[in-house]
Order: sequence, then structure tokens, then C-alpha cells
Amino acid sequence: MNLEFFKKRRFRVILSILIAAAALFVMMGQLRRISFSKEKVLTVGVFSDSYWGVQNGYANKIIDDAILAFEKEHPGVKVKYESGIMKDDYSEWLSEKMMNDSAPDVFFILGRDFSTFARIGALKDLGDLISKDEAFDRNAFYKSAYEYGQYGGRQYALPFECAPNMMFVNKTILDRENIELPAKDWTWDDFYEICRKVTKDRDGTGVINQFGTVNYTWIDAFDANDVTLFDEKGRGCDFTVPEVGDAITFLEKLEALGSGYALSEKDFAKGNVAFQPMLFSEYRAYKSQELSIMKYSGFEWDCVTMPSGPNGDNNSRLDILSIAMSENTAQKDMAWEFMKLLTMDPVIQSEIFDYSAGISVLPQVTQSEDSLSRITRNTGEAFNLEILKSAMEKSVIQPRFRGYENAKEEIGLAVRSILESRSNIRMEQIIWNRTINNYLKSLQINEY
Amino acid sequence: MAEKTAIVKRDNDKVGQIPELVFRVLVLLNFLIILFVTMCTAHALWGYVHEGSALEFLIRAGRVPLMNWILPFSAVLMFASLLLLLSVECNNHPELVCKLVLEFGIAIAISYVTGFGYTGMIVLLLADIMRYTIDWQKRAMYILAVSVFYLFMNGNIVQEWIGVIPLENIWRYYRADYMSRFLGILNMLSLVNMFVFIFYMVILVLAQMSEKERIILLNRELKEANEKLEEYANESARMAETRERNRLAREIHDTLGHSLTGIITGIEACIMLMDIAPEATKEQLRAIAEVARTGIIDVRHSVKALHPDALETMDLEDALYKLIDSSKRSTGVLITTNFDADLGHLDQEEEDVVYRVVQESITNAIRHGKATEIQVSITRKEEELNIVITDNGIGCSDVNPGFGLHHMKERLEMLGGRLDYKGEGGFMIHAVIPIRKGTDEQ
Repeated sequence: MNLEFFKKRRFRVILSILIAAAALFVMMGQLRRISFSKEKVLTVGVFSDSYWGVQNGYANKIIDDAILAFEKEHPGVKVKYESGIMKDDYSEWLSEKMMNDSAPDVFFILGRDFSTFARIGALKDLGDLISKDEAFDRNAFYKSAYEYGQYGGRQYALPFECAPNMMFVNKTILDRENIELPAKDWTWDDFYEICRKVTKDRDGTGVINQFGTVNYTWIDAFDANDVTLFDEKGRGCDFTVPEVGDAITFLEKLEALGSGYALSEKDFAKGNVAFQPMLFSEYRAYKSQELSIMKYSGFEWDCVTMPSGPNGDNNSRLDILSIAMSENTAQKDMAWEFMKLLTMDPVIQSEIFDYSAGISVLPQVTQSEDSLSRITRNTGEAFNLEILKSAMEKSVIQPRFRGYENAKEEIGLAVRSILESRSNIRMEQIIWNRTINNYLKSLQINEY
Repeated sequence: MAEKTAIVKRDNDKVGQIPELVFRVLVLLNFLIILFVTMCTAHALWGYVHEGSALEFLIRAGRVPLMNWILPFSAVLMFASLLLLLSVECNNHPELVCKLVLEFGIAIAISYVTGFGYTGMIVLLLADIMRYTIDWQKRAMYILAVSVFYLFMNGNIVQEWIGVIPLENIWRYYRADYMSRFLGILNMLSLVNMFVFIFYMVILVLAQMSEKERIILLNRELKEANEKLEEYANESARMAETRERNRLAREIHDTLGHSLTGIITGIEACIMLMDIAPEATKEQLRAIAEVARTGIIDVRHSVKALHPDALETMDLEDALYKLIDSSKRSTGVLITTNFDADLGHLDQEEEDVVYRVVQESITNAIRHGKATEIQVSITRKEEELNIVITDNGIGCSDVNPGFGLHHMKERLEMLGGRLDYKGEGGFMIHAVIPIRKGTDEQ
């Protein structure tokens, strides 16, 4: 290089700006956008086992079908995914991909990870795509399922598959005690009454061996009584509201029935407990003939809606597997099309009833006769679609803010402590309100 | 105005060399610190991925970091870019401000890749500004701007705005004792950076002071030389004066003295002869008259010797043309003439003044006015001869008559004339001489 040229001022300024621009280019992660291949590749992040913990051998069937349909519709596009990642490792795998700047264009997000990934800015804000796309209709989804993909007022994910929390009933016990199956708008009073009736010592050994309920937690009680504990960003919590007091009083009453027996899921599976809240995916899995002998085989059982509290409704908490787009994707439009195919295509969505244990996020699919036939295909029993419909319509979703999981534990601790203490619930609520808010404050301090 | 805003980067002469060396040390130190920070960070990020704690890190960090190798890579590129910018010399303030803004941008980018754990490269910008010779007010403004920027970078404002993972958060990958050691090294290096910068400033101020002293010394020498030169000039003028006086004395002695002596002696003889031999007296008086005539001729010769040379051998018009022609040739200035009056009937004194006015004006126009075009016009208006000389030179808004103008005016006044001049938009001289002889002919 000619040194005289290098000495020129203008040359040095331009070179300096060019180098800085190159560095910025690399920093913004634009390198990976450079591709010399003509074939467009869309990468998808999936896990190979069931989200609902029900292994049925159809792990990647739905995604494979979706890819087939997508590639047919978009020639020249190849959709790839890495198979063999288990659900337990999936979050870590995805995080590593993100840190290595090689996150898939589209990926599934487990319910508990959604707020984490949305908060760290790894997910693309879908707002623009949604407003540009006239074919997109948010009303096609169940409202709460759609809202699950929102964080801080922005839409980051679309729901793929969900399951509401429902009350499983041991029909054998109810029949034996001459109790009718609860209606879909039953209340805490009904719930308590049934529990009170069934709790007894059946074989006369002096030890109670038939119980009302197991695993009915404060979360279920709070949901049933429409308690909104946290503000939207999780900066504050109001634990002192009367709804909380009602819920805790109700839980106290329920516990008093069991008179101190420590129960577990196993007791329900053995047929000794009348009620247990469980995800609907559990119902689907164990009602099918292949798995029906593995669990809950010694008695008749069914599921009903959750009971409602005095202030609330028959609310079911929803667990959702959603799909999001990487913030750094180079194929925004292609990724959006693929997301829509997975979440909004009736054919793909209806495959959930064949190959997975959850239910579709589209009311149009879930509430169709076709789906009903698929649900009941293997059970041979009649299934009341109304119950599922009602549960989905009254479904609620967990708050999504940073540290919710930890805050949940804190509240669990508070509820347990209040239940075990003998002092005034109202006073305890005020004391614990302070503790929980201090905890939330410490979370915010850690943020900076 | 252009001269006022111009700024100069100090030369790398003898005084500038030591600060320049310290500046290089500063650059090298900053480079090492940035490399150290980004390499450690990159290693930690790599470690998170390879140890399977990426999710835990992401939850703690609250955002996705840049990929590990990108950090040192882009840091080095950015630093190179910053150095190139620092090497660019600015000639005026707008350029310097533009450069500073660009440098701020790059500094933010470098700080970003160091997780705002190191922002000390700002002292490089400060050191660079100190290399310019700027007046103190403006320099203070620049220093203030850079300092405010430095505070701003360390005040968590940018961090919150851009969204940065704090360095400590990433370095938590290391065992607590290693991490504290790394942070210790970083703190130490930052302090060394500050010390080197302070050292640089001290050296620079000392260098500037010694330079100032040198300039004062040079000034003094120059002044002395000037004084000496003035003395020489005075002396030489005095000598010329003495020489001229001697010549005049000799001339008077040789011509007038000689003739007068002869006349006196002759007249004394005539007084004695007058009664005895009137004829001889007559003869004698004739001889005396002859001596007086010769005397007057000699006096005329002497006076002529004091006239301009050109006028001695040719008439005024020719002499003026010759003067203008030689000025044109020797200086390349364009001189146009407009001689509208008959100059043939002026007496010698008048010719002399006309010649001197033209000569002095042309000389002034070229020497003081830096003129490239001069117009000389001599016209006659009734009983006055008007000499107007205009030029296109820089002129002079406030004319302070020097020796030349003063002399001209004096000579003109002796003839009953006057002199006007004005200096806006080039210089103009207007001399008026009343004509005595020419009136008869009109």
C-alpha cells in the first residue's frame, strides 16, 4: 500500500468509519445472515418427548407432518430440526443455542420458560407481523391461551397446545356414598359438603382411609376465588385482600377434614380419595386404552370443572406449550408462516388429538364433533364436551413476570405458615404481605 | 475570522516527543486492558455454554449476551478504529467536534463489549484534545464535554438504556476468589491508566511551559536585533547627511567662495583704480562681471547635481514614462497612464515635485498597498495641475501619514499646492499644483 495515501486525513477517517461499521456489523450478529446457498433453510427447535409426560411414540409426528405440508406449500424452503433433545434438557439446549447466536428461527417454549426468554429479549415481538397479516385472527384462539404469549404488553408467542387444570373425580366413591357427580358450576360449599361426606373410616379400624381431596392447593383456591395477587410487572403484591382470607379459610376447613393425614397422588390412584385436580392431558392419556391399565384402573373416574369460590368462577389454570420466533431470525416472514401453520391450521391442530395428550388451542378444533370422537375413541365412555368447553372458556393463566416461580414459593410458604399457626388470619395476612413485598423488592434490586 | 478558529496540532519537535511517548504508553495500556476484559468475558461465556449452565446464566443476566468470540474481536476492531480517528489532525473547531462525536460513539461501543466494566479509554480522547493548541476557554469547554460524557458513561444511564449485562454478573462464572482477583487486576490497571494520564498531563504542561519560555527568548532576541538595525539605519542616515553637508560646503567653497573672493578682490581694485584710471576700472568691472557669470553657472551646475537624474537628461514626460516603464518591468504591476496636460512649460521645481509625487505614490502602492494595478493621471484644469494616482491594493482605513506622504505634502505646500488622499478600497492620492508660467499662454 502506498504510504503517502495512508497519510491522508480523509483516507484515515473513512477507514476508521469502515472498521467501526464492520465491528458493529459483527456485533449485531449480521454475519450469519450472509448465505451463499440458494436454498432457504428454516430451523426449528423441538424436543423429542411429550410435553405432558405421556410417552406414546409419536414424538415428532405433528412437526414432521407440518414440515411436509410447509415444504410443499413453499418450494425451495427446507425446514430442519435437531431431534433427540429431551424435554428436561430442552431449556438448557435452547439457552446454549441463544448464547452461541445460533438459536433456531422458530422454537417451542415450555410454559415455565416463557417469561424468562421473553424478558431476556430472545423472542421476537410479533406485534408488527400480526398487524401486517390480515389473514391472522387472534379470536381464532382461546383467549387465555393467546394471552399467555404476552409479556409486558407485547405478543411474543403463539399457543400450540394446552391443557386446563380439571378436577378428577373418583366416581366409584361417589356412587358408593350416593352422591351425584357435581354440576359444572359447582361451588366450594358443594365441594366441601362432598368431601365431608366421603371422609370416613370404611373398615372400622379407627383410622380414616377414605378422603375428600388431595393436592387441592392454594393456587387452585386463589384461582377459584379470583385473587389477583401481583401487579402486572410483579413489583408489588396485595396479600391482604379479603379474597385471600376466604381462600385460606376454605383451605383450613378442607384440611381439618383430613385431620392431619399426609396424602399424596398415590392415594388417589389407589382409589382412596374422591377428588384430585389434574391437567386434562392426564385424562386423555389414561383414558386411552393403551395406558388405562397403568393408572387409575381400580375404579371408575371422570373429570369435572374446578369448584368456584364465593368471589370467583369455575376457573381452570391453563398449562400451555407455545411457539416463538427468535429475535435474531433472518427469515422473519417464513418463520411467521410456519408458526401460523403449526398454531392455526385446523388439520395440524387436530393432529394434537391423535398424537399428543393436550388439546388444540383453537376452539373451532377442540369443540368439534370430530375431536370429541377422537377423545372418546379409545375410552368407550361418553365424554361431556360441555365440561371441557366451559373449562377452556373460564381458563386463567399464571402471571408472567421475572421471579414469579420464586414469588410463588414465597406465597406457598406464607399460606402454609398461616394454615399452621393458630392466630388471626387477617393479622397474618398483613404480616406476610410485608414479607412478600420485601422479597419482590429484593428481586428488583438484583436486576440492576 | 478564519484565522481565529484555526487550531494547530503541536509538532513532534523536541519538546513534543516525551508526551508523545507517554501517549503511546497510554494507548498500549488501554489496548491491553480492553483485551484482558473481553477475553475473560468471552471465556466465561464460553464456559457457561460448555458447562451446561446457560439457562441459569440467562435467567440471572436478564438478556442474551453477544457470542463469546465476537467480544474481543469487535473490541480490537473498534480500538483500531479509535486509534485511526485519534491520529487524524483537525484544522478547525467544527472538524474537532465531529471527530469527538465519532470518538464518543466508538468509546460507547468499546465500553459495551466490556460490559461497561472499563470506560477508561475516555482519557485517550482527553489526552488527544490536550495535544491541540487551543485557547483556554475553548479547551475548558472540550474538557468539560469529555468529562460529562465520562460521568454519563459511568452513571448507569447508558447501561440501562442499551441494556448491558454487568461485567461482574458474567464473571461470576469464575470461582469467587478468582473473580475478585480478576476484578482487582482490572481496578489496578484502570488506576495505572489514570496515573499515566496524569503523568502525561504534567509532562504536557511542562513541555508547553518550556515552549513558551523559548518563544519569549526568541522574541527578546528579535527585539534586540531590531533595535540594532534601527540604530544602523539612523547612523547611516546621519552619515549621508554629513556627506551631503560636506559636499555642499565644498561645492559652496569651490564655486561661490571662489567667485565671491574674485569679485571682492576685483571690486576692491576697482575702488582704488576708479579715480586714477576709469578706463582700467571699466575693464576690471567687466572682468568681475565675467567672474560673477561664471560663478552663477557653477552654482547652477551644483544645484542641478541635486536634481533627479532622469530630469537632468530628458524632459518631465519622458522621465515619467521611463519611471513607469521601469516600475512595470521590475515589479510586474500593471500601470496605466493618462497624461492630458502639457508638461513642457513647468519650471524645474515644479517638474521635480511632479516627478517625486508620482515616484513616491507608485512606490507606496506597490510596497504598502500590495497593488497589482495602478492608474496615473495628470490633467490640467484651468490654473491647476491635478495629479491623481489610484491603486487596487489593500488600502488603509486609517491613514497614518508616514515620512513619504509628509515630505510630499511639504514640497507641494512650498509651491502653494495641496495634497489629498484616502485609503478605502485601494489607495488614492490627489496632488494639486498651481501653475504660474502656464497662465500666460492660456
